[in-house]
Amino acid sequence: MVDFLQALVDGVMLGATYSLLGLGFTLIFGVLRRLNLAFGPTILVGIYAGSHLSLAWPGALVPVVAVTVAGALLAGVYVERFSFRALARQAPVVSMISTFAVWMQLQELVSLLSPSRTMPYPSPVWLPAVAVGPILLRSDGLLMWSGATLIMLALFALLYRTRFGTTIRAVADSSEAATLMGVNVAMVGAAAFLVASAVGGLAGVLIAQSHQQVTPYFGLWATVKGMTAMLLGGAGSLPGAVVGGLALGVVETQTLWHFGGQWRDLVSYALLFLVVALSPRTRWGSGL
Amino acid sequence: MSDYFVSLLIRIGIEAFVALSAYLLLLMGRMSFGQQGFFVIGAYAAGLATALYGMPLLPGVALGALVAALGGALFAGPMAAPRGLAFAAGSLAFGELVRVALLDLYFQGQVGPDLIGPAGPDGFRGIRALFTSGVSVTTYAVGIWLALGVTLLATAFFLRSRWGEALRMIGEDEEAAATVGLPVRRVKVSALAGAGGLAGLGGGLFAHYATYVEPGHADVMLGVHSLAYAFIGGLGTPLGPIIGVALDIGFLESFRFLAGYRMIIFGGLVMGLLIVRPRGLLDEVAVHRLSRFLMRGRR
Amino acid sequence: MLEVQDVVTSYGMIQALKGVSLAARTGEVTCILGPNGAGKTTLLYTIAGILRPRSGSVRFEGRELAGVPADQVVRRGISLVPENRLVFAHMTVRENLLAGAYARLGRDGGGVKVDLEAMLERFPILRQRAGQAAGTLSGGEQQMLAVARALMARPRLLMMDEPSLGLAPMIVEQIFEIVAALNREGITVLLVEQNARLALSIAHHAYLLEQGRIAFRGTPSEVSANEAISRAYLGIKRG
Repeated sequence: MVDFLQALVDGVMLGATYSLLGLGFTLIFGVLRRLNLAFGPTILVGIYAGSHLSLAWPGALVPVVAVTVAGALLAGVYVERFSFRALARQAPVVSMISTFAVWMQLQELVSLLSPSRTMPYPSPVWLPAVAVGPILLRSDGLLMWSGATLIMLALFALLYRTRFGTTIRAVADSSEAATLMGVNVAMVGAAAFLVASAVGGLAGVLIAQSHQQVTPYFGLWATVKGMTAMLLGGAGSLPGAVVGGLALGVVETQTLWHFGGQWRDLVSYALLFLVVALSPRTRWGSGL
Repeated sequence: MSDYFVSLLIRIGIEAFVALSAYLLLLMGRMSFGQQGFFVIGAYAAGLATALYGMPLLPGVALGALVAALGGALFAGPMAAPRGLAFAAGSLAFGELVRVALLDLYFQGQVGPDLIGPAGPDGFRGIRALFTSGVSVTTYAVGIWLALGVTLLATAFFLRSRWGEALRMIGEDEEAAATVGLPVRRVKVSALAGAGGLAGLGGGLFAHYATYVEPGHADVMLGVHSLAYAFIGGLGTPLGPIIGVALDIGFLESFRFLAGYRMIIFGGLVMGLLIVRPRGLLDEVAVHRLSRFLMRGRR
Repeated sequence: MLEVQDVVTSYGMIQALKGVSLAARTGEVTCILGPNGAGKTTLLYTIAGILRPRSGSVRFEGRELAGVPADQVVRRGISLVPENRLVFAHMTVRENLLAGAYARLGRDGGGVKVDLEAMLERFPILRQRAGQAAGTLSGGEQQMLAVARALMARPRLLMMDEPSLGLAPMIVEQIFEIVAALNREGITVLLVEQNARLALSIAHHAYLLEQGRIAFRGTPSEVSANEAISRAYLGIKRG
């Protein structure tokens, strides 16, 4: 029972970051109606940039966070410019193919620019773990959960409480109607893309501080986690992405506790496969 | 022929099979990110057949392809219905499932003095049937290209037959295909099995050339590349994917000083081409067809 | 107020409008009749800036509109109530109305609030549903929301595309009463409608669009007097 609870708590803490990834994916997919497979790789760029900075300037946490987010944003601008804006008149598939291409580039880029495949990422290890009864809350987990929750609250406030957010949701709902209301849909799309990239960068910080390291495989990993969270939540719903991410996190940690580490990825991929297999006609959202 | 040239030919030939399998599914309106899964299934199965059970090279590779085709047919169970984004996501999950599962696959047997067979993350080493059979690498390369030629002819023939017509109709409009009485499900299952078999054939050929295969060979990048190859060459002809492979491996690798940057250059090339000449890469009909599928899948 | 001159619009190879000219006069209801596929929606989309005409001119209050992007056309004073309404289904009724005032929000926040209240006053059903997601509304309610949303931009020209589509006859009459009332309040209306009888009952001028060309123009009584037209478009009772 304690194991179950511990795994549940760990899962929620981990899942919160998956929720963030899912939200980033959903924002881009919801507004632009195009899948950004390079979402994970853009975060990868940010984390590598942060890692490089932390090697050159140990102990500088705030600058590392800033550089990580900036790196993800910069890569995001690149993807938006070449895979989305430049292809806005083409079919959505064309953007998706283009994001593969960018993915290859970004992954190769970070490998070429790094002395080793595995790069360290700083973690505020001095933070103490907190024990609540028999449940242990590790500091990196707490940081993931509290950071992700804060970011999600801020994001939801932005989307549901501001005019900018309402506009984003209007475009996601019906870009045609939004145009008729006088919205410049292309600009809103680019803005949503940047918001998603920033959210991705922040998620990258939270995840990387927990892993304390990063490899080029992170791009694929983050894309799969984010896509799974989005799909589990019904593809296109923002609250759905949050729930999807948490569910994925809990399933992973429960598997880890009860069956061991090697099953963890297997189960999360199986979960994605099952979601598709069991709901082949999934409604791929039409609004956030 | 120089060894380097022969190895290039072999790599192009092998990847062409995987690209062809992605192409086949694209015609049916399915974008698969999981063909690398069938590639390694074929590789492991063929390797087991020859290295562990002493089958000769040719039947072993054929058996590998058959097992992968069977895998494709089973895959079609849950995956015949999904389209668009759902299929893409499901196939990606499948490919990764295969890779992760192979990390846990230990199945070794004593062959002579050695322990042979899949050994988890260490992969499956000692698949030596090609070299013990005395076939030279050059002959192997010729054999691969002969097989590829035959496959291409068969594919071209198949695509012109009623089955090919059915495949395209499903790619065009699945509901309409069903209403005119096409056995939609049977065609889809056959296509998924066929595509699995093609990728598996590539895998078996690869395993015997490299003498080993490991879970890492099911890297999603292989599937992604295969899709990209099919797109670059255009969907109008089965030659398209091979052109794509040749462009990437042949052209870029032949400039050795570029080799380290291959992904960056190839990625940039694809990205640039998509912007400048999207119709040159993806003929309009296909884009339309696929986009309609993505749209429909979403509704 | 609005003058369309020799407008040609095409989708790829297909010419949907083959040189259309028409005018909507200030304070009037102008209606465009015609069969499916005649190019009526294309015409409205061209005026709204969503489609770009290949040639010809669209002048609104003396200024050229052709080539002005859609999000700017709204700011010039033209709103379109699109076919099938296209309400923001996942957003609340209130959010829909505010989105309608998007073009004014930055400059005229106070005015928007006043207008929002006025809309809820005019359409009491929308007040009842203000906090509800627009997708949960009935077809008639959605049509009212779409009209109210378009009005939130304070248009001088209101364009409506098939407002009766898929609605029960009673609701349709209600919608047309609203349109007539809006017109009496001074809003110029350009109406595309299949239900010719009803459309002509509130129109001052009518055009008949057939295969991308204007086939006939006149007052409602002239249209009714034309035997061929009235047989084709008024003979079949719709709705």
